[in-house]
Amino acid sequence: MYWTDHGTWSPFDEFRSLQREMNRLFDGYDGGTSLSRYPALNVWGNGENVVVTAELPGMDAADIDINVVNNQLTIKGERKADTPAEGAVCHRCERGTGSFVRTVRLPFAVEGDKVSAKYDKGVLTVTLPRHEASKAKRIEIKTS
Amino acid sequence: MKEKNEKSLAKYGEGDAELTREGPVFVPVADIYEKDDAILVRCDMPGVEEGQIDITLENNELAITGNQAGFRPEGYDRLSSEYETGVFRRVFKIPQLIDREKIMARLRNGVLDIELPKAEQAKPRKIAIATGS
Repeated sequence: MYWTDHGTWSPFDEFRSLQREMNRLFDGYDGGTSLSRYPALNVWGNGENVVVTAELPGMDAADIDINVVNNQLTIKGERKADTPAEGAVCHRCERGTGSFVRTVRLPFAVEGDKVSAKYDKGVLTVTLPRHEASKAKRIEIKTS
Repeated sequence: MKEKNEKSLAKYGEGDAELTREGPVFVPVADIYEKDDAILVRCDMPGVEEGQIDITLENNELAITGNQAGFRPEGYDRLSSEYETGVFRRVFKIPQLIDREKIMARLRNGVLDIELPKAEQAKPRKIAIATGS
């Protein structure tokens, strides 16, 4: 998707990801099997952590479900419809409601039980610590 | 549902806007409700702090501006970027007379609610029909 996993590279994976991208390009013509692109995600990373942010206004933290399996992050949720006042008539309704699921592959495996998430001002921030085994190790070269 | 979500919740750029601040300008998606005594405007403004919202009502134009606090963690590289942060701006024409003194706004979980109470003379009045005898 975003990163090439050199460790497990296979030409078939490349084909599959190309196919996914093509499906996405023709979204709506594939019978609805393509992956969802909502919510849009920004991903930040350094040697220790990956930080994923998403704009999810108007939700309750309890309605957001975050799951991590190896290096797959899944964000699930539902934005419930609510009328600001009883008996109010909607003239213009642009804000969508309903449930969504988004799965992304992270650049490396993460410690699933140390993942933390914060929901503030309608923005979800998920911090995922990199798995110890996947961290880069500096190798000293000994000179004789 | 999915398609509707993606269309209605995607950020739309506003091409003709010129702001002094750098960064893209987005049109926030909004719902407009009306009840007997007020007009309610609800806008999605994720990542905007309370102090960064500016609401003005001039003549019949309600202008809403909100600056997003851009998230840029220090010491991190950007690996993938699917959305940008910038300024939300939208202007509505409000046809009814509004009681300016009583306008209220509230920000919660990235959603801005503005209540514009109708002025006394704009409220609906029930007109009794006199039956001729």
